[in-house]
Amino acid sequence: MIDEMKNLATAIIGQLRHRGVDYGDARVENTDLESLTYRKQRLADSNFQVGRGVGIRVLVNGCWGFASCSGFDSGLVEKTVDRAVSIARSGAGVMEGSVILSDEAPAIGDYSGPCERNPFDIPRSEKLDLLAAAADIMHDSPLINMSWSNLRFERKRRVFSNTEGSLVSSDLVFSMPTIMAYAVLGDDMQNRGFQEGARIAGWEWIEQADMIFWAEKCREEAIMKVKAPEGPSGLMDLVLDGTHLSLTMHESVGHPTESDRVLGWEASMAGRTFLNIDDQEKLKYGSEIVNFIADNTLPYGVASWGWDDDGVPGQKWYTIKNGIFQQFGSVRETALLVNRKQSTGCCRAMDFASFPINRQPNFYLEPGKEPITPDDLISDVNKGIYIEGRGSFSIDQRRVNFQFGGDMFWEIRDGKKVQPLKKVIYRSKTRDFWGSCDGIADERSFRTMGLLTCGKGEPMQAARMTHGASTSRFRNIEVGRGTE
Amino acid sequence: MTRDELLEIIEAVLEKAEVPDVIASLSESRDAAVRFGQNRITQNMDTFERKLRITLGDGSRKTVYSTHRIDIDAVPDILEEAMEMLTTASPDPEYMPPVPAGQVYPVVDAWDSTTAEADPKERTEAAARAISTAKNNGMEASGLVGMSYENTAIGTSTGNLAYHRSTDAYMRLTLDRGKPSSFRFLSAEAWEDLPVDSAIREVAAEVESDEDQRELEPGEYRLIFEPQAAADLIPYIAWSMNARPADEGLTVFSGRQDEMVAGSNFTMTSEVNGLLKGTPFDGEGLASGDAVWIDGGRLVNQPCTRFWAQKTDREPLFIPGTLALEGGSESIEDIISGTPGRALLFRRFWYIRFVDQKELSLTGMTRDGVFLVEDGKIVHPVADFRWNWKPLELFSRIEKLGTPQRKGQISVPPMIIGPTVL
Repeated sequence: MIDEMKNLATAIIGQLRHRGVDYGDARVENTDLESLTYRKQRLADSNFQVGRGVGIRVLVNGCWGFASCSGFDSGLVEKTVDRAVSIARSGAGVMEGSVILSDEAPAIGDYSGPCERNPFDIPRSEKLDLLAAAADIMHDSPLINMSWSNLRFERKRRVFSNTEGSLVSSDLVFSMPTIMAYAVLGDDMQNRGFQEGARIAGWEWIEQADMIFWAEKCREEAIMKVKAPEGPSGLMDLVLDGTHLSLTMHESVGHPTESDRVLGWEASMAGRTFLNIDDQEKLKYGSEIVNFIADNTLPYGVASWGWDDDGVPGQKWYTIKNGIFQQFGSVRETALLVNRKQSTGCCRAMDFASFPINRQPNFYLEPGKEPITPDDLISDVNKGIYIEGRGSFSIDQRRVNFQFGGDMFWEIRDGKKVQPLKKVIYRSKTRDFWGSCDGIADERSFRTMGLLTCGKGEPMQAARMTHGASTSRFRNIEVGRGTE
Repeated sequence: MTRDELLEIIEAVLEKAEVPDVIASLSESRDAAVRFGQNRITQNMDTFERKLRITLGDGSRKTVYSTHRIDIDAVPDILEEAMEMLTTASPDPEYMPPVPAGQVYPVVDAWDSTTAEADPKERTEAAARAISTAKNNGMEASGLVGMSYENTAIGTSTGNLAYHRSTDAYMRLTLDRGKPSSFRFLSAEAWEDLPVDSAIREVAAEVESDEDQRELEPGEYRLIFEPQAAADLIPYIAWSMNARPADEGLTVFSGRQDEMVAGSNFTMTSEVNGLLKGTPFDGEGLASGDAVWIDGGRLVNQPCTRFWAQKTDREPLFIPGTLALEGGSESIEDIISGTPGRALLFRRFWYIRFVDQKELSLTGMTRDGVFLVEDGKIVHPVADFRWNWKPLELFSRIEKLGTPQRKGQISVPPMIIGPTVL
């Protein structure tokens, strides 16, 4: 399969050279996707998709042209080459473009993500038995009115080639379990779900994630939540676990540090950022213990593709070091514009039919170096809330003013978790929030979340990346019911 | 592909499938768009896709198989792969055969040939005019200008066969000068119906009026929603309306069929072939129709799957891709000038999310223009702020509705909401 795709990519590049474009690249993709979904105790959806196609991007006189087609039909592919070149020329004719790509070495190679047991080789009966067992466990209480359980497997084979001599392939298997239980009591409904999401991994991730354990945990904690009192209001301390912080950091660190936002290229849709280009290596973003590491080589990270859609290899760098903002994540087109010589390798498209854009890398909050447990952090809180998992989330287009919920809440009083809570919301501003971080537990509590649905761009593209953190503490954050 | 070519493949799938229950749909789509930002074109795209979707059922189990492999000679191979999925599926206690024969599909005229041809010159020139206006006014332009089409054919083993085609022309435009900004979303079936140049002029003027923003003073205000602001809230109501989750106690509409859920001047409908063009069928081949969801504030209908409709003795219903709120006859300018006392005018909302799905409480930010209005006159712009509202509660206090405008597939009027503490 990969060889056939490489041959097609090489043929396209030959056609682009023949047409005299200034730059051209081709992405050839083949994706198999299996999704099995139980709604309550019933297989509600059994779905298999075979996606394949070609995306071709060219530069003519500094203007982009991008065209794509589904399928590998040679006639359609040739027309697609024509369309890409034609619309690039039409743009160059109307207004002068100014695209300058950073210099990058041509890439040659093949990358396979970690996958010990190919999920497409696992008998479907084994997958359905697991889903049925998880559903039965979740519904072993009359208070559970609804549940979802899902297994999603995707094998994405992609080839990238460009007119500068790059030819690389990636063979990636994404596995994602989902568990969600809904408890209804009186007029209230509360839910609880598995939080760690997807990994580049095989069936071994499903076994490690332990859906049976989570089915029981979600049932019990959904019931606990629906019976719990509502959260308090006021200024208090928060202790946040890694699966919760994964979303907070995604919105308040990942997006503001994308280079296309500081340039205004997302101004009409995803928005801008509060950061300026000159803030690199200067601006205080958080407290001194806050270090964020971007890492597109993280083995199970869902943005670790070997090379990005510019053909730039996966890299590892500090986004924030000792609380100071270091640099934007960039692509070849933006690197020079944000005063960097080279791309950090953050160029990715949703699929062959999408124009590749600047996306967040995998990144995580570096665990504390001292031996600190979540209980140690809680023990120094007089009045606060411990939050696990993701809930409601919203942030302004400059990525400053945010509001988050969570998936499970515990009241902290006098250094101890005393009771579950529900309907907890907190609000803060990005730099105030990260500046209030005064404790980060060590790597023993490190948890990750692999996200497949980060929306950005126009037309909207869903991208994937993994975030992680150890449990951390934040002082004096505004907490209160969202409807107040 | 032509209508006949699409239907030929659908009929081949129906004929060759060796199971009693089959639904096949084949779509061909093209989306060509220019994206711009920082006063330059950043993307120029032309995407083309053909996709075949096959649902197979054997009377107790079913499965869905999709592929980009579109070739009439490949149909037996594709069906073999789909059959492998079916034979390993679990029996479905909610199994439903395909929709019965005799579906009467509405005719929806949503096609414009010129738009379907997607001439790149029109798009790049529109983007260039927006950029030129921005540069001349010390602003930055960003947005998207595009044209798309979709042709879809569908068939069921029960004997239904249908075809639909539609075009869409659209422009999303933001002009800004740092914090002062404004936005417009235009869409129509035909490119020539988009008022591109007037929108560019209006948005540039609105940026000028957004200079010197002041922080919001806490207090009580009437809320004036421009159509885009109201349109931003409506989908959250629609997503919460399905009958089954409501019956299962999961949504704000639980147990509220035929009850008042909004004010008596709030009527929400769907239309298939009016000002808005919907789809004549859903993914199962069920014929669509106009529907009234909330009538004078009363919940009268809820979208309902065929299985749940049969179980609860309802008619199956789905939202055919459009939503419309009834309005009045006044323009937004009349609405503003007629607003008594102190009010805030909102142009658009951003990053709206559920805070509590069961309550249908939402949070979000203002974006691209908030203005203090006093005694019918705009006094000054206000800096963006976060809000936490329950939209059905807001729509229970509508004091006045203006003339509806199209915002994508939603038609909404400007409106005044009664005094609200902020």
